[in-house]
Amino acid sequence: MPSSEPQTASDALHAEVRSLIRLGHASVRDVDELALKIARFQARHVDGFRRLIGARGVDLEAARSADQIPAVPTDAFALARIAAFGPKDDRRVFRTSGTTRGGLPRGEHAFRTLETYELAASTWGRRCLWPASRAVCIALTPPDAPDRDSSLSFMVDRFMELLGGEGSHHLDAERGLNSDSAAEACHYARAAGRPALVLATSFALVHLLDAEQDRSRCGLPSGSRVMFTGGFKGRAREVESSVLRRQVASLFELPPAQVIGEYGMTELSSQLYESTESASGTLERSGVEHPVYLAPPWVRVTAVDPRSLIAVPEGEVGLARILDLANVDSAVAIQTADQVRITAHGVELLGRAPGAPPRGCSLAVDDICQRGRS
Amino acid sequence: MRDVLRAGADIADGRTTRGVEARRRLDELGLLSPAGVELALGSYLETSASERELDELVACVETAPRAHVLLSANVCTAALRALALATAAAPEVHVRPSRRDPIVADMLIDALANTATLGSYERVDVLVPRSGDAVHLYGSDETLRTVTEALPAGVSVWAHGTGYGLAVVGSNARLDVCAEGLARDVIVFDQAGCLSPRVVLAEGDAARAESLARCLDDAMTKLGETIPRGELSDETAAAITRYEHTLQTIGATWVGTHHVVGLDVAPRAFVLPPPARVVHVAAVDAASVGRLLADHARYVTVVGASGDGPVARAVAVLAPHARRAALGQMQRPPLDGPVDRRPTASA
Repeated sequence: MPSSEPQTASDALHAEVRSLIRLGHASVRDVDELALKIARFQARHVDGFRRLIGARGVDLEAARSADQIPAVPTDAFALARIAAFGPKDDRRVFRTSGTTRGGLPRGEHAFRTLETYELAASTWGRRCLWPASRAVCIALTPPDAPDRDSSLSFMVDRFMELLGGEGSHHLDAERGLNSDSAAEACHYARAAGRPALVLATSFALVHLLDAEQDRSRCGLPSGSRVMFTGGFKGRAREVESSVLRRQVASLFELPPAQVIGEYGMTELSSQLYESTESASGTLERSGVEHPVYLAPPWVRVTAVDPRSLIAVPEGEVGLARILDLANVDSAVAIQTADQVRITAHGVELLGRAPGAPPRGCSLAVDDICQRGRS
Repeated sequence: MRDVLRAGADIADGRTTRGVEARRRLDELGLLSPAGVELALGSYLETSASERELDELVACVETAPRAHVLLSANVCTAALRALALATAAAPEVHVRPSRRDPIVADMLIDALANTATLGSYERVDVLVPRSGDAVHLYGSDETLRTVTEALPAGVSVWAHGTGYGLAVVGSNARLDVCAEGLARDVIVFDQAGCLSPRVVLAEGDAARAESLARCLDDAMTKLGETIPRGELSDETAAAITRYEHTLQTIGATWVGTHHVVGLDVAPRAFVLPPPARVVHVAAVDAASVGRLLADHARYVTVVGASGDGPVARAVAVLAPHARRAALGQMQRPPLDGPVDRRPTASA
């Protein structure tokens, strides 16, 4: 059994975060106050975070804004345990994809409870992504299992359960992508007249597009959606995101606005989703070139200068510093090497910083799809 | 061969016309501070070699009618050894210097073209080897792959790619002495070379590794006062911030005006810091070395070791092709062949 004081404090914080999530909105002050509470808890129980605040000379007790919380770099998750509890209390451990990309081992994010994670994922997914309260889920991801470590597979399978349990997987770790079964699932949704939700990495979609060239098997009913996640720098052919969106929309016979990007990572508990306004062209006409993502009320993304880690003015490019209240037992603020621009519309994703190693579930899926081809 | 060394000596001497010009041009380039330039040219341009060393250099090179050399920019003095090897390989040498820093290469070629008693030297913008020629490539693994793929058939390729130095401080070594030697190895060329030590394996417990890190911080602070680091690019500065930040989370850092020392007393993985006078110290024992170096040993070009304890012996097994040197001498390999003795990629 975990020692009682940290678990009691952790449970209370999880409960507060879940209340905020259910509320559906939060003031800046609410987020700041809860974030600082979580950070103070983490300073007591997460060794790495305690070292970081000591090195940076931050007095969390005197802090008034969540922006003052030092953000734990994502690389640290690969080099040390970032958790407020010991391994014996691990309920699940999610790991970053790949083996030694950039020379580092896989990052690990341990969870004592997944209740807050599931609520965060489903609440924002319902708001930004789900086509309806019930949908046929077509997953181009491997199935989740208790001994597996992909946070994406976990999220996809939770969505499948919450959307009525009617779903199927069409990517196998050994055999790769099965485009025939994926097409059959699309046919099933069409025949049943139920909206579908396709959940895939960008690379899986590229492989599906290649397999389904000159065929018309994957049309989906009106109202269906496609979620794609991850970038393109890997071993599959690289496809520019606006081109991918058009090709995917055409494949599934959906308007481009129904093809929605997801931004998440192993080191977070929450996800951002692409604003569908962007996909419809509204923002393209106003000159915004890159996809724009919306963060849920309990997440705050700030662009920081890569040298000083100080926030840059709105509209300027910086590295994404992400505050995620759902990260109660790890790091409430993380520092990524992803370039972003924060605007009134949301978070523009601009790719990895120069010199930062590529990462992501999409790369791992590319490995699987390539294997399936040989 | 002696022509190459004489040309190098001319540049190394700050009183000669070429020596003055090289310093002026490298100062203007700004990759190293003026003191860093003087250190590189005055103390690390390889201008002397014994007959035995030169015989060994000649023996390790495959001969060809023409040698084509592609240079990288990391170390301004590297062109001399590369030209010596090319001279040993062929009577006709074509050199494509790095676009970022062609200075010493250009000056050596110019000197040799005018004064060499044997052989011909030409600076080119594009290498155009023919079947039967030798191509000597220096650069990152990615650059070498790209260039090698485009070469015609029948060309022999000698490629020296990504690499770095690794230091081992044994459990009985004097930490202050080791730190002083290491600091000298690190600051020359601002750690940009393939011999530059970037990781130090401290044999022993956490306290000993921390003492070493502190000694290294002191030594590098002292050296940095007279030989400051050159200007940092935005990308390098950002990489240093990322490294510092990460080490502040998993271990400790000592940040100076011209350097950073990071310490990990319980290393889960091998961490390679950015090459800008940033040194990563890890507390290890012989049992953990294999796990830590498993995916990285192939990049080690030189092992600088104090003592021959279990960790040093374990590293020697994992990196059998790496040169061996004393701390303080990692950047002074004899002129007996390429600095990088790992089996080269070849077409």
